[in-house]
Amino acid sequence: MNRFTMSSPRLGLPHLGLGVGLRSVHYPHLLEHRPDVDWFEIISENYMDSQGRPRSVLDQLAERYPIVMHGVSMSIGSSDPLQFDYLKKLKSLADAVKAVWISDHVCWTGVAGRNTHDLLPLPYNDFTLRHVVERIRIVQDLLERPLILENPSSYVTFAASTMPEWEFVSRMAEESKCGLLLDVNNVYVSSTNHDFDPREYLNSIPMERVVQIHLAGHTNRGTHLIDTHDGPVIDPVWELYRHAHTLSGGASTLLEWDAKIPEFPVVHAEVLKAKEYLTAALPDFGRRGEPSRPEDLQSTDLPLQRTVPHPSMVTHVEVE
Amino acid sequence: MSADNTPDTPDLSTIQRWMQSVITHPDGVAAGVASDAARQQIQVDASSIESLIGRSQSQTSLERLQIYSNAYHARLIEVLMGEYPALMHALEEEAFVGLATEYLQVHPPASYTLSHLGRAFPDFLAQTRPARDDEDGSPDWADFLIDLARLERCYSEVFDGPGIEGQSSLQANELRSLTPDQWLMTRLIPAPCLRLKTFRFAVHEYASAIRQNREADDDFTTPRPTFLAITRRDYIVRRASLPEPEYRVLCSLIAGRTVGTALNVAVANHPDSCESLARQVNRWFRHWSAAGYFSGWHNSDIHE
Repeated sequence: MNRFTMSSPRLGLPHLGLGVGLRSVHYPHLLEHRPDVDWFEIISENYMDSQGRPRSVLDQLAERYPIVMHGVSMSIGSSDPLQFDYLKKLKSLADAVKAVWISDHVCWTGVAGRNTHDLLPLPYNDFTLRHVVERIRIVQDLLERPLILENPSSYVTFAASTMPEWEFVSRMAEESKCGLLLDVNNVYVSSTNHDFDPREYLNSIPMERVVQIHLAGHTNRGTHLIDTHDGPVIDPVWELYRHAHTLSGGASTLLEWDAKIPEFPVVHAEVLKAKEYLTAALPDFGRRGEPSRPEDLQSTDLPLQRTVPHPSMVTHVEVE
Repeated sequence: MSADNTPDTPDLSTIQRWMQSVITHPDGVAAGVASDAARQQIQVDASSIESLIGRSQSQTSLERLQIYSNAYHARLIEVLMGEYPALMHALEEEAFVGLATEYLQVHPPASYTLSHLGRAFPDFLAQTRPARDDEDGSPDWADFLIDLARLERCYSEVFDGPGIEGQSSLQANELRSLTPDQWLMTRLIPAPCLRLKTFRFAVHEYASAIRQNREADDDFTTPRPTFLAITRRDYIVRRASLPEPEYRVLCSLIAGRTVGTALNVAVANHPDSCESLARQVNRWFRHWSAAGYFSGWHNSDIHE
């Protein structure tokens, strides 16, 4: 019997509250003000090898705040072999900062020894399912903890798929006993790009396995949406969050903001809007004091080539 | 594969190799689909691609794939721009993007971390530089760009590599108890973040001007032999331009030679009196202590 058999919601992992993705532009603010944030999520790969300022800042924050590790290079769906050196470094960092859990994405990032540094979609069929489940089991054994996997945003579908993404993700979680990081913005983005009902997606997910929820902004290119993490959460995504919260009974929630990043208080205030959806009496959008972006406005101010989907990770070198 | 050259149900590995070939092609996905690398995996063309990649209500299969192609190149070039801001400024964006795109074809990313992406960029520039205009071999514009890239890569490595924060660096007064003979036989342990670099231009001044949004005047691109010590204190990269004699002595010391051997380098190149040299050396050591260039010392004849 798998040791990660679920005995309680969220795999027994704690509900951390409302967190923020740690980004290097906010280091000075965080160290000076130590804001009242419930928890932080880090991009694992930005800290695994760091022996400089990023790791120093992380160590300081880990003394005060719960830390969750979110990776972008595990490539759980790749047909290349798993990278065991990478996994060992991941575990080492998790042990060092006492990470509450480790997450990555239901995707592949490269093949034939390459890493495109993108979260590439999988064909959803029984072969891929067996392949991914087997690899999750190996990773969980190595990490000695459940792996939490996020549904990605995607822009293509494969003729080789024989089931919808929500069925794949659900069966993957049940068969591997892994946890889920439900990104409601990704559900919204993919539902627009692939013409499905995002509520059907949420209704099909085994919510008791949802350990964490992601929120983020995206860019509307007219013919499709891109998961750019470059702005506030739009109201239709908040509505999906409300629905996910109702179905799941609540899970740790985190806001990602990776491009055009504003001052930390602005980012923090955005995730705190989620409080309005965590109360029993949920207000209508029309009555909310400060609606964010009621409509998904089309953005044409940047050329298509400059609309870069998450992930994009740049650490700026500090020189005297 | 069926007889009409459309895919039956290609396996996961085949689909992934095909898609990677298509979206990383420098000329876009249409060229990628037609490339040998992609067709070795799956023989589809633009007219039959829907048998592999579905279309949406508003986009064709190729348009959807192009999103990944755009993202691949834009993301990686953005990372290179972030690591090489001064080089980007010097080249201007269009030329930088062109070189970066060529670089990614030769050195596609393979590591789990993007911090390795630009590691080979300076060497790539050196290997692909245009022929020199001057037959005398004097440094030219391409050399300036190569030096600038090497400096910025060095900054990255020092910034996130091992350092001495939280440790004490070697202070000059720690060595006062040594006899002159013991002193000459002592070896200094360099801080792990210390790098010594020579450049043909004052690229550090140019890089600082760009990073500080100051105007970079043409003097920066006039050849000027430059000797830099680059290190890190309090998690910030520091660089100091050194006189050549001081630089040579430092090189000798971090190569593991004794203080006596290293100072012989200075004696051989110092035209002035021994007293003058001694004062000079004294100043150097005070500077090195303050800058944290050394973390300790050892002398096999002494129990430290």
